[in-house]
Amino acid sequence: MSRPDVVISGLGTVTAAGVGFSALAEAMETGRDCTRRVDTPLPVCAVASVPVSLLPHRDFPDDRKAWLALIALEEALEDAGIVGDLQPQRTSVFLGTGLSSVTPGELEEDAYPHLLPDGTGFDVDAMRRDLARDRAAPRRHDPSRVTAEFVRRLGAEGPVGTNFSACAASAQAIAEGLRTIQRGEADVAVVGGHDSMIHPLGMLSFIVLGALSPTSCRPFDRRRDGFLIGEGAAVLILERADRARARGCIARARLLGAGTSADAHAATAPHPDGVGAARAIERALRDAGLPPEAVDHVNAHATGTPVGDVAEALAVFRTIGEVPVSSVKGALGHTIAAAGAIEAAVCVAGLQGGWMPGTTGFGDLDPSCPVEVVAAPRDAALEVVVSNSFGFGGQNAALVLGHMDGAHG
Amino acid sequence: MADLRSVRVAGIGLLCPAGIGAQGMGGGVPGPVPGFRARDHVADRKSLKLMTTAVRLGVAAIQLALGEDPGWTEVPPDRRGLFVGASPQPGDPEDLRPALEAALGEEGRFDMGRFAREGYPLIHPLWLVRGLSNNIIGFASAIHDLQGVNMNYCDGVDGGRSALREGALAIAEDRADLVLAGGADAWAGAESLLGGRPCGDGAAFILLRPGTPCIREELEALIDREPPEKLGFLGSATWPVALARTWLGRDRAT
Repeated sequence: MSRPDVVISGLGTVTAAGVGFSALAEAMETGRDCTRRVDTPLPVCAVASVPVSLLPHRDFPDDRKAWLALIALEEALEDAGIVGDLQPQRTSVFLGTGLSSVTPGELEEDAYPHLLPDGTGFDVDAMRRDLARDRAAPRRHDPSRVTAEFVRRLGAEGPVGTNFSACAASAQAIAEGLRTIQRGEADVAVVGGHDSMIHPLGMLSFIVLGALSPTSCRPFDRRRDGFLIGEGAAVLILERADRARARGCIARARLLGAGTSADAHAATAPHPDGVGAARAIERALRDAGLPPEAVDHVNAHATGTPVGDVAEALAVFRTIGEVPVSSVKGALGHTIAAAGAIEAAVCVAGLQGGWMPGTTGFGDLDPSCPVEVVAAPRDAALEVVVSNSFGFGGQNAALVLGHMDGAHG
Repeated sequence: MADLRSVRVAGIGLLCPAGIGAQGMGGGVPGPVPGFRARDHVADRKSLKLMTTAVRLGVAAIQLALGEDPGWTEVPPDRRGLFVGASPQPGDPEDLRPALEAALGEEGRFDMGRFAREGYPLIHPLWLVRGLSNNIIGFASAIHDLQGVNMNYCDGVDGGRSALREGALAIAEDRADLVLAGGADAWAGAESLLGGRPCGDGAAFILLRPGTPCIREELEALIDREPPEKLGFLGSATWPVALARTWLGRDRAT
């Protein structure tokens, strides 16, 4: 029995480009830089934050990334026209998520009252007791609570999961949703990711790692020195193609395949030759049943870090060969756990609109990166696009997306 | 779907409040794993410093499971998968204390300026790394060259269940020839966070290979029940530990 085709029948996004998929598509098609300068004592020059004021969500008042996810969910459901047409037993949810947000207020609330008077340490037991009493914590730190909220709203009774694999999390969640439909365990999978690290401890995490650029993000550029932090969410409605067709839905794109791998190199650094990344790409193409030459464009994970970009460029060159490659991290910032889903949405926009996004910040190709970098957006009739996501800790995921009217799928 | 392959158990690594390995099948009380010394299982001291208790337990359980199947090294690295249920690793407040102390401003409030000037340089560069939920995959894949399909589920008790189920399916669907599926968590001492509920530390990984007798149906039946809590709340390790105890007990009986 052949496995069912899977389409993306709805999309919702909240990014530095604005609220809504059309804002994201417009920004990427026109090459708009969505980052903004910030004035902070921290060594951070710019961020890519959502450019509108968001009201705290009643049920998640302390979790900004949850607000983003729930806004994206609403748009995705409406976009798919699927509200009221979901069968609970045949509906699945997979989300990728990141570390908890911690605001200065929460730092004060959680930490300072528990500093020992002589400053030699924390009263950890007292801290725990207070956390237990806190109306939010430890729920605040439960990664699956947004997934659970999605399940509650959708009444989903199919397979459910929360993926945490750093920057590969939401691409892996999309892969899980695809697999679930292909296996026949669900007809619809609501998938995606959400993250916001634009808070002191979030930014601090990357500052101390030396991963943030003090200037700007320049993927594949010889001057690159790190990334800018972004935030956002994207939710994709994956659906059996025949089901979407039967209800009169005009789907946006096909999800043709997915592949995952592990670098098995070091928990703290990517494999410098990109062998793990290459394996994920190979697996995704094999899963899609496509040869490398079918790929028209690659959305690179490329964050603008010195080692990661070279590793990915080598992986793309080795697996696909010469192919136009873009990275949207310079324009949208690095949205960490949400990156895979947001960038899958950018790929869908490009497939539908007939263009490739540019690579904001790129100017001078690093000769160690054997790729053709798309510097500015350009028109292109795309049939097949690969989107890469690679996580800290060495987890890799690649997705293959196709045009609805393409020969593949 | 194409025909599914049979999936057999080739090894079990268990650490729980009842003990390590076969000792873990016995009775026990909620709490830490008795006799657990991470150095007995993880040779690389540098890595050990970056691992929380849960990650150490998980890496040890994987080591124990692989040790039961001498033939595992013959499986090509890209056919070795890893499916994990895990929680975010709670950082040690002490890691941040010097920085937070330096950032203490007027009236005991957080002062961003002080934090930027004097606080953050006091934090270890790999502070973030210790907090990642996917560290079991990061470390174990590097130690054992597990390059294949993988997933890290962060769904509390359900995380370990998803890992077991998906790991078995990865073998059945011919996406891997060796899978380590399980979970690890460390809740001992965190009872106050759970309203006084007894808590424990634990980890269990099942080494799965193609072959018979096929355990998929039994696995589905076992993980479809109410989670046992005899050894306390074990978070993501709940189901893997329960399954490991069941299967180890059965093996001993036969």
